[in-house]
Amino acid sequence: MADDDIDVVIVGSGFAGSLIANELAQQGKKIVILEAGDGLPSNINRYLERFYKAEDKVPESPYPPPMSDNDGHFDTSDPKTVRAGRPTLRTLGPGKWNDPKQSYLDQSEAKRPFASTYNRVAGGTSHWLGTCLRFVPSDFKMKTLYGKSVPEFVDWPIGYDDLVDWYGKAEAELGVSANVADQKYLNINFPSDYNYPMPAIPESPTDRAIADALANLTTAQTAFLGMATAPTSVRVRGLPAARNSQPYRNRRACAGNTNCIPICPTQAKYDPTISLHEPLNHKNVRMMRHTVAREIILDADLRNVSEIKYTRYSVTSNETVTNTIKAKIFIIAANAIETPRLLLMSRNDERTPEGVANFTGMVGKYLMDHPYYLAWGHMPLNGKQLWPYRGPLITSGIGDLCDGPFRSQRGAFRVDIGNEGWNFVAAGIVGSDPHATTIDFVNGVNRSLSKQPSRNGVGLFGPALTKALNDNITRQFRIGFLVEQTPDAGNRVTLSHHVDGLGLRRPKIAYDLSSYTRLGIAAAYKMKNLIFQKMGAIDYTDLVVADRDPTRFEQQIDGKPVTLNYGGAGHIMGTHRMGFDRNDSVVDSFQRSHDHDNLYLVGSGTFPTGATANPTLTIAALALRTADRIGKRV
Amino acid sequence: MIEPKHHKPASPASTGKDGTTFTRRSVLAGAAAATASATIGGDVPAFAQAPVAAADLSTFVTLSSALTGIAAGKLKPFADSLDLSRDFFDWIGDWSAKRQSAAFAALLQVTKSMALQPGADGIIKQPDVDRLVNAIEQRGDEPKYLARSIVLMWYLGSWYEPEALKKLPAKAPSFIGHTVISPKAYTQGWVWHVAQAHPMGYSDLQFGYWTREPPPLPLSDFIGKRDAKTRPKPPKGG
Repeated sequence: MADDDIDVVIVGSGFAGSLIANELAQQGKKIVILEAGDGLPSNINRYLERFYKAEDKVPESPYPPPMSDNDGHFDTSDPKTVRAGRPTLRTLGPGKWNDPKQSYLDQSEAKRPFASTYNRVAGGTSHWLGTCLRFVPSDFKMKTLYGKSVPEFVDWPIGYDDLVDWYGKAEAELGVSANVADQKYLNINFPSDYNYPMPAIPESPTDRAIADALANLTTAQTAFLGMATAPTSVRVRGLPAARNSQPYRNRRACAGNTNCIPICPTQAKYDPTISLHEPLNHKNVRMMRHTVAREIILDADLRNVSEIKYTRYSVTSNETVTNTIKAKIFIIAANAIETPRLLLMSRNDERTPEGVANFTGMVGKYLMDHPYYLAWGHMPLNGKQLWPYRGPLITSGIGDLCDGPFRSQRGAFRVDIGNEGWNFVAAGIVGSDPHATTIDFVNGVNRSLSKQPSRNGVGLFGPALTKALNDNITRQFRIGFLVEQTPDAGNRVTLSHHVDGLGLRRPKIAYDLSSYTRLGIAAAYKMKNLIFQKMGAIDYTDLVVADRDPTRFEQQIDGKPVTLNYGGAGHIMGTHRMGFDRNDSVVDSFQRSHDHDNLYLVGSGTFPTGATANPTLTIAALALRTADRIGKRV
Repeated sequence: MIEPKHHKPASPASTGKDGTTFTRRSVLAGAAAATASATIGGDVPAFAQAPVAAADLSTFVTLSSALTGIAAGKLKPFADSLDLSRDFFDWIGDWSAKRQSAAFAALLQVTKSMALQPGADGIIKQPDVDRLVNAIEQRGDEPKYLARSIVLMWYLGSWYEPEALKKLPAKAPSFIGHTVISPKAYTQGWVWHVAQAHPMGYSDLQFGYWTREPPPLPLSDFIGKRDAKTRPKPPKGG
């Protein structure tokens, strides 16, 4: 393929990039994908082996470049030596998150940690859970509905009805298992003949225990939610997931490995490598791996992109090659931090000193996540066993509470019910389970402070040990709350003076939680109390918040100070948002730059508001819609 | 006695290909562990020590069975293609050689002196376990915490340094690092079976199993002589 033949250059091969490549390849377009990290592996065995061997089985643990040494211990290389760096969970702890010598993201001036991470590898977010929620219709018109009291909110230039068919197409491509009747709530609607590609995934005993606990409530108990009518029951619904409930497109049914994150060992869960395999088998599609885009170069009148400058590096030596690539259309699909970083780095010999696609200075602003409030519960030893560590990581959740009049006052939340016990409790503080509990019993300690009675150094062995472990571990559970975050102009991606291993300026993050968002977390705290009380569960949530946790904050709740904290959901959104024109946004509803006719900036960076649903299905629906539009252009 | 200054660490134990095998076994062979690793070179063939090691391996499995509460036949099955007991035994041998520690030899000696007999389910009874633990802990902190590392090894597939376990505060949240011994050590960890679950990322169960509760059986069905009931059983009499 000669350079002047190329129809489309795509930067990044995650969800959006892979899906667009696949659609356009089917139309015979000539495509080059620039991938900063490793290419597609021939199989996932090495990923799995790296995961099994990892001391900390964090989301990034299986994926290259290896974040651990040969013994599985975390590698603390200075990010200035890493050529395609990335944020990691292990660099989010106290003393690390805001030290650019340890953390790839420069958060040295952030008010609070931006707590989400990402990978840079072919297939991008393969370490996702598989959740495939549609947004609820209200999520697209937050300004219209709640903008009077929350001026940060904007409307999307499209609504649910514009996306409904694209949602269906995305569900077919990813292979989603769910039941239509179970997913009709808060005005989510489906075409009359619509069925999900596969039947729903069955619920877990923990799902049932929580559903039972919320079946009968009083309006006094639920008044705090601020719904139009205080509900007398709250429904637990199956979570639509791109996880096969039966064989689908040559992949097998989920075997319940309880490991969707970091890695599904059977690929029963969809990941973008699956959509990537098809185009990469096509003669018109080429992927350049270990190739980092460094500048988007505009033509003389700044109206169109003429080429992209990239650096290709060798993984076995210090050798690099810098070159440019031309095409008719350019698509930046590098995630909501790396995409604005590339735009801002593209100064075109000071012809665009503020970067590309940035005539109105909005690139990088409105960074959002779903701050994730985690609650840790334990049934009493004479109470019900819940059998965690079985089945997919999450099978059910609560979605019915994510829209209502309360959205004028506080952030909405969506509830995840975990099937993995205390697996990621307090990582880095007492370690995750089942390690923490096993050490507690064997060594007669009580580091997780949940063992009763405390053993004062006397270890348990033999049958007493097996009984204690079974009694405890089978009664663990956790709930997660995905909290809506306002799009705040001060939460933004700029360029750091700290560089990466290629000498390119790393992303610098400013981040805080607005009062609206913190009130959403406070409401999640009250919902947690209600669920635990109705279940008769013991609440260990407060014990898990460490004194030095950089995400902790105090919040007045019903007149009392309560310590809360949050994690990252990995849902990086908002930094090149879509809108009606260049005064309110960076791209249009087809994710095309307002400033440059042949430049598309795709992915969750285009979300003007973040709602509470995991973004992937909406990323996919928008990507397919964009691919359709581009296909008609070239 | 961890790596006294006047002793160099026994380098063949940690780095040499053949020396590794030899040294760890020689350490196990006698009580004079420190001298053995320091004085014997790396040029004696491994098979010379094998018979001693085999006998000690069986004692190691008995010790492990008593401490973990899991039947010896589960820890070292009859046709053992994974041979995890050997890996663990060798690992501790290496560790002992590097540290010039006699603690492992002491654990094996105590176990041998006890004549531990499992019950019909293959599991050693609690009073016998308590006697063993008591005898071990009387031998000092080194055997005491090494015994705990051995239990964690079987349960989690990871090595926790005995010294780090000894230092762990009893009640405060505190971090302790570990080394995953091997991918198979992780995927064969016993904690998952004891919780009637499966190792995360390694399950041979079928779609939908998770919606049913595991059968309310005695734990010995998972860790004793009979097969785990979470797996489909062959028809009776077959």
